[in-house]
Amino acid sequence: MNKTIISFVTSIVLSVSFSAFSKTKVTWSMESNADRDPIFLEKLQNAYNSAQDNYELEIQFEPNETRIESLRTSMLAGMGPDIVETPGPSYVKEYQEAGMLENLDSYAAEFGWKDKLIPWAYSSGVFEGSLYAIPKTHESMVMLYNKTLFEENGWTVPTTREELEDVAAKIKAKGMDVYTYGSSGWQPTHEHLVGIYLNNYAGPEAVYEAITGEREWTDPVFIEALELLKKHMVNEGWWSGSLENYYAIGWDDFHAQFATRGAAMMTIGTWTFQATSLGIGASDDEWGWAPLPSLSSNSTGPNFMIAIGTTMSVNAAAKNKDGAIDVLNWIMSNKDVVIDIASDFEFGEFVVPLLLDESDIPSSISPQVTSYLNEYARITGEGNYGYCTWTFWPAEPGVHIWKDMEVVWAGDISVEDFMTDHQKMWDKARKKNETLPVPLRD
Amino acid sequence: MNFLSNKSYIAWYFVIPVVFIHLFVIGIPSILSLALCLTDWSGLGKINYVGFENFIELFDDRYFKKAIFHNILWTIIFLTVPVCIALMCAYLLTGIKRGQMFYRLAFFFPYMLASVVNCQIWKYLFHPIHGLGGFFESIGIEALASSPFTTKDTSLYAAAFVDGWHFWGFLVVIYLTGMYQVDNHLYEAADIEGASKFQKFRYITLPMIRPIFIFSLMIIIIWSVPVFDYVYILTGGGPAYSSEVVANYLYTHAFVRFNVGYASAVGTLMFFYVIFIVGIFGLLRRLGWEI
Repeated sequence: MNKTIISFVTSIVLSVSFSAFSKTKVTWSMESNADRDPIFLEKLQNAYNSAQDNYELEIQFEPNETRIESLRTSMLAGMGPDIVETPGPSYVKEYQEAGMLENLDSYAAEFGWKDKLIPWAYSSGVFEGSLYAIPKTHESMVMLYNKTLFEENGWTVPTTREELEDVAAKIKAKGMDVYTYGSSGWQPTHEHLVGIYLNNYAGPEAVYEAITGEREWTDPVFIEALELLKKHMVNEGWWSGSLENYYAIGWDDFHAQFATRGAAMMTIGTWTFQATSLGIGASDDEWGWAPLPSLSSNSTGPNFMIAIGTTMSVNAAAKNKDGAIDVLNWIMSNKDVVIDIASDFEFGEFVVPLLLDESDIPSSISPQVTSYLNEYARITGEGNYGYCTWTFWPAEPGVHIWKDMEVVWAGDISVEDFMTDHQKMWDKARKKNETLPVPLRD
Repeated sequence: MNFLSNKSYIAWYFVIPVVFIHLFVIGIPSILSLALCLTDWSGLGKINYVGFENFIELFDDRYFKKAIFHNILWTIIFLTVPVCIALMCAYLLTGIKRGQMFYRLAFFFPYMLASVVNCQIWKYLFHPIHGLGGFFESIGIEALASSPFTTKDTSLYAAAFVDGWHFWGFLVVIYLTGMYQVDNHLYEAADIEGASKFQKFRYITLPMIRPIFIFSLMIIIIWSVPVFDYVYILTGGGPAYSSEVVANYLYTHAFVRFNVGYASAVGTLMFFYVIFIVGIFGLLRRLGWEI
């Protein structure tokens, strides 16, 4: 009897040990964020590890400030994590050109990834005809406003430039800033505003033509767009009261300003939803969102700028390539996992661009976010979408558009000269084959 | 064998590990970096030889020229303001018998803090909402309501001020060390002759600490070339390149614009500039200057 028990226990211990030790490790270097990391550990890493017996996913968190550089160094050394996370397509392009990423075409065909993802998002990872990256999150720019404040004052949410300038004057008359926003801690914030004005003044069609080389960036319509931005930013101080304040204000500051009625509106990306819900959501005021107003007759009706926040690829030198593919496939095959994690972030992060139905959106998220998701799907589905600079601009013009915009705002160069320089950079990028994938426009 | 046991070589054996570390950490990367300045390398992938194209582009680059001008300005500021204040304070401190250690610690304290801590303190202090900016605005002084770090006309000076504030305490300590080496009999003789405090400083202290003083000027000139952290944290080189310095410009090209070849060209020029400065001081030493 004793022998039977001993052999039974031994066999269980051995089988458990075997399954534990037989799992091969899959590594993923992920951008760290104190609020998000525990959720990714529990609902992604641990959930994946419990769901199968072949691989052990290990997520290594590191702040992006250092992670991007350490990733590049390790990749150059032929090392690096199995799953390569980058801040966007311009980084993917560099790695892909260097032959450091695995071609995912055969896996995409085997597992039917193309049918699971939103078409434009899938094509954002296609370089030189092959798939190299899957978006980890996609996003857009919106206008947030203090709904309670608007109702109290009888203000209308603007949809056109005239309405916007009218409500801006009323907001300023009340002693508040029109928008709260700032670039302290993240200088590329300027590109959010540049993108808004290019897409909502010149119109998405014109931006598409410029990105694809059918139109020059020196076209008067783009110059007018940036002149208008300069007027609103510098002359009228719409963002945080003045250009200097806009430069001095960071993430926590502008959320606090929005929550305490320091400003009536905010131009920001959808990654803010969680912070907004926690910020103004904690006050007595209710917040609302709206598509960014059309700023000229070139931009008819609401549109949403499309963007990829982060991408996932497989390291060509991965120690566990099969494991990395399995993790990506598991994510794309488990809509519930993605929705669950994205819901914890109010659909501001880990919004893997899977094709979702209205019924997929959980009731646990804010009604504002629910309405945004439905509107975003409807409007972009109708083909009304624009282009965010950090997803569709090659590296050098992508930096120029925000870094040198300060020179325009300072009055050191004219918008015309700025756009002439910008066109030269695009020409150079085109010559060096550095342009990024752009989904075909209907 | 005799060679290995020769006592005159022992010092060399102890230095070998450091030489190896320097060779791998500084020597080889520096040589590679010098080579990269002739390429269009993005930091990843293929390396193409482009000759002197990066240098031609660089000499035509208005923001690089602006960055050089800012570095020169930075050097002048540091060769004057902190040096003068530190000399004066160190000299005054030599006359303080009680509580001198407190002053020395107080002056030196910012130097012991990490640059990021110093920068955050001053950023918060001048924050337009929570800092002095908000206060000045509330009492109607609009001119001081904006942060000097985000104002185009003041950003470079504001960053230099914070760096200088952290640095001058270090100068006080080294000048003070030099001043304590001065023979007290010289001051006693000067007192008998009725020399004023300023005359004693001008004709005794300053000449006697000349080697330390010139050394401090040399390190200021050299350290002003790679100045980076205070500018990067406080202003990021902005607004509108108004506080851009060469090292920050190099960093942006290497790590943000994927332009490693171009950044290496900037680094190469910085390298030759430092060699030139060190060479000048070496030459002066050979000419008999006490430095």
